[in-house]
Amino acid sequence: MTTFVFRNQTVEPFLGDDGMTYSGYGDISLIPQDVDRYIWFYQVPVSADASLLAQEINSYIGQLDLVMAAADASKPFIIFSLANLFPVRLTGSGHEVEDAIVDFNRHATQLASQYAHVKWVDFDEFVSSYDSETLVDWKYYLMSQTLLNPKLKHDFGLWWRRVEEELALVRKKCLILDLDNTLWGGVLGEDGVDGIKLGGDYPGKSFTLWQEALLQLSRSGVILAVCSKNNEADVLEAWENNPFMVLKREHFSAMRINWNDKATNIAELADELNIGLDSMVFLDDNPSECEWVKMQLPQVEVPVFPDKPYRLMPFFKELVERFFRIYNVTTEDLSKTEQYRANALRRAEQSRFADLDEYLYSLDIQIDVLPADEHNLPRIAQMTQKTNQFNLTTHRYTQAEVQQRLDAGWLVYCMRVSDRFGDSGITGTVFLEPVGETGVNIDTLLLSCRILGKGIEDAFVKTVLNLLRLDGYRELTADYLPTAKNGQTADFYDRLGMTCVDTHEDGAKHYSMPINGIFEIKNCYNIRVL
Amino acid sequence: MNLEESVLDIMRSVFELDEVSTNASQKNCERWDSLHHLMLASELEDLFDIELEPEEIAEMTDFTRVVEMVKSKM
Repeated sequence: MTTFVFRNQTVEPFLGDDGMTYSGYGDISLIPQDVDRYIWFYQVPVSADASLLAQEINSYIGQLDLVMAAADASKPFIIFSLANLFPVRLTGSGHEVEDAIVDFNRHATQLASQYAHVKWVDFDEFVSSYDSETLVDWKYYLMSQTLLNPKLKHDFGLWWRRVEEELALVRKKCLILDLDNTLWGGVLGEDGVDGIKLGGDYPGKSFTLWQEALLQLSRSGVILAVCSKNNEADVLEAWENNPFMVLKREHFSAMRINWNDKATNIAELADELNIGLDSMVFLDDNPSECEWVKMQLPQVEVPVFPDKPYRLMPFFKELVERFFRIYNVTTEDLSKTEQYRANALRRAEQSRFADLDEYLYSLDIQIDVLPADEHNLPRIAQMTQKTNQFNLTTHRYTQAEVQQRLDAGWLVYCMRVSDRFGDSGITGTVFLEPVGETGVNIDTLLLSCRILGKGIEDAFVKTVLNLLRLDGYRELTADYLPTAKNGQTADFYDRLGMTCVDTHEDGAKHYSMPINGIFEIKNCYNIRVL
Repeated sequence: MNLEESVLDIMRSVFELDEVSTNASQKNCERWDSLHHLMLASELEDLFDIELEPEEIAEMTDFTRVVEMVKSKM
């Protein structure tokens, strides 16, 4: 199974490498169609400025809508809820950030209840087991942009496996109930219609609450049935005459009240209701009955019934989560999918961004292109050593080696990127080797993965090309050298409009292009050449 | 298991490789990229119950240095 993960922080330690492809940080410009499912796993970013933070979180709603409109709606789309791992509140009254998080999560749950292919994962369920000190290891955040402590990856793995199992579970249709000590306390045949424990104080109260919960379950569309060893007449009388009875005859679609073995009864119920055994859940307080049914009918789910009446409500919750979690949509037919697409597109239009460009515009991206100097040289060399993904040739250079090339007349530019959320620092570089009178070859071109996507690579290169043109350069050549990591750049030069003039067996490609005319750059960036 | 073997074991699991040699370094081991480096550091801290400073994590560029660093902390 292949999964594409939209993320704004490093989440690889948690979701792993297996079949996972990750977006750039906060990058929604690439939305692949040839994957098996999508995951949206954003974290609340770090900022001490609450209103800026709230603004950023608010923008996730529009981003999510844009992504959903472009994603393949026949594939599952899993949305993690946002959780505030490290809330910083300077005053007691500011709720901006919390409100923004609530808004996003409400939006996500709405999507999940509206569309069958959208699943919502309550990340708070995981987070709430830890305090802020455990959740966040600032050392790792500052070194690798992962706010969630990497030491929690084992715990996360266990939790995530369980969530995935839940997501994969087929919803059950029918709940089959035993009666004595299951739907009420005590044994009807011995205690009598008024002797069974129902209503009043504990333990009767627990069974009333339990029956009320089951009634709601039935109203949501789950079929209730009875399978009990009892005298049918006694049961009918209890339903009729016990004043505390919530669930009565009319709430059960089918019943087997007799002394036959329960496996046979359940098989008959499946026939009568015309549903598969694998869509049935059977509840009985008697472990030996449970064992028998499990053995005879392995397709039927038989959860362990709680041994204390006060455990009935948590048991109900577990039951719902495991078997009956209700999604409003029951059929995933094609027309639904089409309808979904149309709706998502409409919403995307209505939400704050009409399209990707407008979203980019809203980011207030500032790109400064500057020549290499003694201040940025160490960083430039470091980037050649560390950058793997967006790196066309992956030539590694020490600081001294970069200096040698500068001395030999090479042109080396780097770029500093910031947006309304902060400064990413120097995050890209290009090494240009003059060839002959008016030619120039791109020896190195790389961008840090921190800023990938958002079209910044395109803007950067075109800005540099425009500079080269002004300096009198007229011919450009460049190479793409494939590595295990840089596949995403394989057709970068093609997209730039260069002509591939030579392809090697190992996948290396050589390009050329004349430099004439101005390279048009989208106007969603503020570009300065320093 | 001695310390070297424990470290190799952790490296195999973090890098998801069947074999990691004692000559492994960031230069010759493709899986040992910056992301896996941090995951390795975090695992070492966790399993040996030690604390590594960012500067120290940056110095652990090959197997021998990893082992030396862990030894110095224990």
